[in-house]
Amino acid sequence: MLSALIWLPVLGAAVVSCLPASQSHQQIRAGAVWLTGGVLLWTIWLLTQFDIGNSGLQFREYLPWIETLGLNYELGADGLAIVMLALNSFLTWIALLSSSQTTERPRLFYSLILLISGGVAGAFLAQNLLLFFFFYELVLVPFYLLISIWGSDKKSYAATKFLIYTATSGILILAGFLGLVWLTKAADFSYQSVLGQTLPLGLQFILLALLIVGFGIKIPLVPFHTWLPDTYVAASTPVVILLGGVLAKLGTYGIFRFGLGLFPQAWAIASPYLATWAAISILYGAMAAIAQKDIKRMVAYSSIGHMGYILLGAAALTPLALVGAVSQMVAHGLILALLFHLVGVIETKVGSRELDVLNGLLNPIRGLPSVASLLILGAMASAGIPGLAGFIAEFLVFQGSYAVFPWQTLLAVIGTGLTAVYFVILLNRTCFGKLDNKIAYFPRVDWSDKTPALILAVLILFLGIQPVWLVRWTETTTTALVATMPDRAIVVRVNAPSASVL
Amino acid sequence: MTTTLAASTIAQLPPSTHEFADIIHRLESGGAMLPDTPENLMQIIGLYKAYAVPMDFYWRDLLYIAEHVFLNPLPFFKYFISQDYLDRPNHYAGETADLRVWRGRASAHPELLEFMAKGETRSKLPRLFHHLWHDRINMEFAEECMRSMLWHGRDMGMGQFDAYLDSEEYRQNADRAIKAYFKGNPAMLGLYKLFPEMFLEQVRQLSYYSNLGLFWEVMAPVFFEMSDLYDEGKIASVPDAMNFLVNGIFAIAGRPIYHHLYVGDECYEIVPKSKGFMWLYEAALPYVEAVFYRTSPFRGTKSYNAQAGQVPAQQKDFHYGVLYADKFPVGSAGIPPTLLAQDMLHFLPPYLVEYYQQHCRGEDDMLVQLAVSFQRSMYCVTSAVIQALRTALLYPLDDPNPEHLLANRKFFESQLDRFKRSESRIREIQSQEYR
Repeated sequence: MLSALIWLPVLGAAVVSCLPASQSHQQIRAGAVWLTGGVLLWTIWLLTQFDIGNSGLQFREYLPWIETLGLNYELGADGLAIVMLALNSFLTWIALLSSSQTTERPRLFYSLILLISGGVAGAFLAQNLLLFFFFYELVLVPFYLLISIWGSDKKSYAATKFLIYTATSGILILAGFLGLVWLTKAADFSYQSVLGQTLPLGLQFILLALLIVGFGIKIPLVPFHTWLPDTYVAASTPVVILLGGVLAKLGTYGIFRFGLGLFPQAWAIASPYLATWAAISILYGAMAAIAQKDIKRMVAYSSIGHMGYILLGAAALTPLALVGAVSQMVAHGLILALLFHLVGVIETKVGSRELDVLNGLLNPIRGLPSVASLLILGAMASAGIPGLAGFIAEFLVFQGSYAVFPWQTLLAVIGTGLTAVYFVILLNRTCFGKLDNKIAYFPRVDWSDKTPALILAVLILFLGIQPVWLVRWTETTTTALVATMPDRAIVVRVNAPSASVL
Repeated sequence: MTTTLAASTIAQLPPSTHEFADIIHRLESGGAMLPDTPENLMQIIGLYKAYAVPMDFYWRDLLYIAEHVFLNPLPFFKYFISQDYLDRPNHYAGETADLRVWRGRASAHPELLEFMAKGETRSKLPRLFHHLWHDRINMEFAEECMRSMLWHGRDMGMGQFDAYLDSEEYRQNADRAIKAYFKGNPAMLGLYKLFPEMFLEQVRQLSYYSNLGLFWEVMAPVFFEMSDLYDEGKIASVPDAMNFLVNGIFAIAGRPIYHHLYVGDECYEIVPKSKGFMWLYEAALPYVEAVFYRTSPFRGTKSYNAQAGQVPAQQKDFHYGVLYADKFPVGSAGIPPTLLAQDMLHFLPPYLVEYYQQHCRGEDDMLVQLAVSFQRSMYCVTSAVIQALRTALLYPLDDPNPEHLLANRKFFESQLDRFKRSESRIREIQSQEYR
C-alpha cells in the first residue's frame, strides 16, 4: 500500500519524460495534476485505514534488497510519518496546480517534480537507514535541476549553493548512520536493528551532533541557513512550495526520527542547548525578515524563524510540545505554501516583489483584491492569530515548552510578536495604501491563480477551527516517544552512565 | 470664433517656455488640452452620451427637489421623481425648445425611462426595491456637485448669485416660501421661529439645487447632440467637439438662473428670473471652478489627514476635482464619483463597450476605464471654457497684433499654471496608454 506513494509518482515521472513532443504543455500539466491527485486520494484512503491508537509502525512492507550491505526495502508508517506523507502528497498536488501554464520544457519539469514527490515519500516511509539516505539524496538532483533551469535571479549560484549545502548535509547524515551501525555492530541498517543497541554517551553525542548538523542544514537552523534565502528566492513558485513545505520537513522529520528517536539519552542532556538554539533561530529569522525589502525573501526568512518552533518543541520533550512540533510542521508547510504561491502570483501579475514598489493591491478594481485578501489570511496564520492552523501549532509548542524551558519559550513568544511586525510591514506596504497609477495595469487574476490558494486557505482555517484533525494522527506516537525518554531530572543530577541503551 | 491659426501665432511669437508649452501651442492653434486623436474623440463623445442620460435624470430631480420636495424634513422619496418632472420638456431639446440644441425629444430620454423601469437587474420590481439595491440613477453624485458649488460659492468671487443669497431681498423671499410651505404645520413653523438661520441655510442649498439643475438642463441636450453628430460623422476631431461646446456656451450664455417653489398651484419666486442671473456667469463658470477644479476630499477616494496638513487651509487651494482626481481607486467605497461611473456604465454606447473590453481587464475594470475617459472628456469641456473665456475677454486666435497674441498666450499660460500641481492629470491624458 505504501509503495504506491513512492512508485506511482516515479512511474509517472518516467511516463511524462517519455511522452512525445507533440503533447501540449496543458496536457502534460493536466496529466501530472491528475496523477498527483490520485496519489493524494490514495494517501487520504491510507489515513482512513490508519489506526490512530497504535503508536507503532503500520502498513509495513519488507523486501530484501542488498542484504550484504544491510540495505533492504523496509517501509512503514507511524503517526509521525503518516502526516508527513499527507503533507507531501497534498503539497505536491498544490505545487502542480500553482505551476505556470507556460513552463518551458514541461516534460522534464513535471517529471522532476513527480520524482521529488516519490523520493520524499520514500524518505518518510523508509525504515532502513540506508534506504532513507538513498531517498533523501535522490531528491537533491531534481531540486538542483528545477532551480538551475527554471529559477530566476542568480539561479545558477543559488542552485550550486543549495547543492553544496545539502550534499554536505547528506555526508554528515551518512557519516552518522555509518558510525551508528559500525559502532553498535548492528546486524544491518534496519531502524529496528539499531534500536536497543548500546553505545557510550560520548559517542552518542558525537553521532547526535552529526545528525543534528546534517538535518539542521536541511531545515535550516541558524547558522546553516545561508543557502535558504538565495535558493527560495531563485526557485519558481511550485519548486519553492516543495522546498519550504516538504524538503525542509525532511530535516525536522530526520531530527525526530533519528536524533530524538535513536539518542534519547544524549538528546535529553542536549535539549537545553537545543532549545536555546531554537530561540536564537526564531529571533534571528524574524529580525532578518523585518529587514527585507523583497517579499519572497521576507517569507523565506520567516520560514527560518518558524522552523525554530519545531526544534523548541522537540527539545522540550513533553507530550504537548511534541504534538505541537509535529503540528507546526504541517501548519508551516501549508502556510508557507500559501504565502509562496501568493507571492508568485503577485510577482507574475505586478512584475515586482519589492516592498517599495508594491502598494494598494487591495484595490477592488485595478488591484489584486482576492490575492491580497488571501495574503492577509496567510500572514495572520503565520503570525499565529487564533482560529488558524498556525496558532494551534505555536500555542501547543509554547504551552508544552514553557514548564521546561521558560526563558527560551518566552524568547520564542517574542519571535511570534516579531512575526506580526514583519507581516504588518508586508501587508501595510503591499496590500494597503494607494495603488500607483503608473504601474497599476496588472493582468486579471484567473481562477487557476486563485484555486490553490483558496484550497490552502480553507484547510488552514479548518485546521485552526478543528485542530483535532491536526493532532489526532500523531498524538499516540509522540506520547509513546516521550515515554521512552529518560527522566531529565535524573540525568542532570546523576552522572550519565558510561554506556546507555539507544 | 476659434479657427485654427497655428501658423500665424507661431510665426509671430517665440515658442512658449512654459512646462506645458506643447499644450499651449495646441490651444493657440484652436485645439484642446486633450490631444486630437480618433481614440480620444471616440472616448469623449461616448462618455458625453453615457453622461447625458443620467444627467437627464439629475437635472429633473434637482429641480424637483428644489421646487417641490423643498424643506421636507423626511425627504425619503426625494429621488422618486414625479411623472410631471419626467415629462417636463427640456428647454433645449424637442419641438417645444426655446433654442433647439438637440434634435431629439424634450421629455426624459428613452434609455433613462427603460433603465428606471427595469434597472440593471432587468426586472420589474417595485421602485423601492430598485432604490434600496442601488439599482437606480445615483443622485448622490449630483448632490455632491451641488454641495461643492454651495461650499465654494462664497469663496470664488464669481458672479452675483451667491452674494444674492445673503441679501435681505432673498431672506424675505425665502421667509415667504418657508411659511407657505409649512402652512398648517405648527411644529415646523415653531422650529423655524426658533432656528430661522438653519432653515434659511437649507433654502440657500436648495437654490443651488435649482442652479445646478438649470445648468445641467442645458448640458444634457448639448451632449446628446454631440453624440448624434459624431454618429453622423459631423464631429470628426477633438477641436470640432470643443468648438461645438464653445458655440453652445455662447448661444446659451444668457439663460436665466432662478429658484422657484411650488406649493399647490402657487409659485413662490425665491430667486426670481427678473434678477437677470445668467447661466454662463452664475452656473457654468462656478460649476467648472467648484466641480472640475476644487470639489472636496471625497470620503473614500483617499485618506486625507487634515491635521497633518494634507488638506489645504484655504478652500481656493483645493484641487480634488475631476481634472486632478485619481481615477484608479474608483469603486472603493460607494463614493459619489464611483456612483457616477456606475450610472454611466449603464448607458455606454456599444463602440465604447467594445473598446474597453479590448483593454486592461475588459469587463472587470470598465468602471475605471470609463472614469479615465470621463476625465479626458472633462479636459475637453475645460478647454472649451478656457477658449470661451479667451474669446470673451481677450483676442481672436488669428489677431494680427503680436501684443494681442502675447496677451492670449499669457492667459493660456496662467490657466495651465493650475495644472502644474503633481496631482494634475494633464500629463497623463497626453498619452493614450493612460486608461
